Amino acid sequence: MVVIAIGLILVGIFFLVVAAIGTLRLPDVFSRSHAVSLTDSLGAICVLAGLALYQGFGINMLKILVVLVLLILLNPVIAHATIRAAYRSGLKPQTEEDQ
Amino acid sequence: MKSSFPKQFIANTLALFCGWLVLSGKYDNFHLVLGFTASCGVAWLNTGFPHSPFQQFPWGRMVLYSPWLFLRIVESSLHLTKLILNPSLPIKPRLITYRSQLKHRGAIVVLGNSVTLTPGTITVEINGNTFLVHAIDEAAGNDLTTGRMERKLAWVFQEDTNL
Repeated sequence: MVVIAIGLILVGIFFLVVAAIGTLRLPDVFSRSHAVSLTDSLGAICVLAGLALYQGFGINMLKILVVLVLLILLNPVIAHATIRAAYRSGLKPQTEEDQ
Repeated sequence: MKSSFPKQFIANTLALFCGWLVLSGKYDNFHLVLGFTASCGVAWLNTGFPHSPFQQFPWGRMVLYSPWLFLRIVESSLHLTKLILNPSLPIKPRLITYRSQLKHRGAIVVLGNSVTLTPGTITVEINGNTFLVHAIDEAAGNDLTTGRMERKLAWVFQEDTNL
């Protein structure tokens, strides 16, 4: 159980590092938001699932799962709000032709 | 609507009380009674609104849809990871305009959320049922442009879209 938990947390940390690298490397706000969404999806899911397994079955596992569900529901909303605000304020995404 | 009031009230109270039990962590009589009273109060305030968007929401088929979405999230995460770690950074960002045929408002919300939740695509704007989606390369936007995701949601909401 503990081994699986540590493995999941390590996988999650790998994706978090990739997301950080992506945020630095990608050119504009729109493509950077894709790198950030990598944190939400696999990064946070793996880390939280690993923590839930590490806690073992009990009330703390349920609490972590509540956090996980909230994260999955709320993150796309926040990402969409940020990107829509950027688009409406006149920021145009870089496309293939600009490069 | 009046007839279903007690049933809805009891269901709401139970749901809220379960939430209290998970989050409070204190199980002596004082806290249990306090939580139950609060659940009853909140449920009483919130019951009886006739047009809640969740009343015709297909929760059962939604649960069947989520494993497919999770698999797509894992696949496109790996795709995006490869793109980011590639030294030449082979991205081809583009804006996709997509007109959906879904009618149920909940279906449009779920489609927009699914697109944003999948790494590599993000919903920029929804106007009626026209989506403006930013995709990092052609493969990332494929699920949407081929109508694959929409077909799944048409099944979830039992809509006839002839896709």
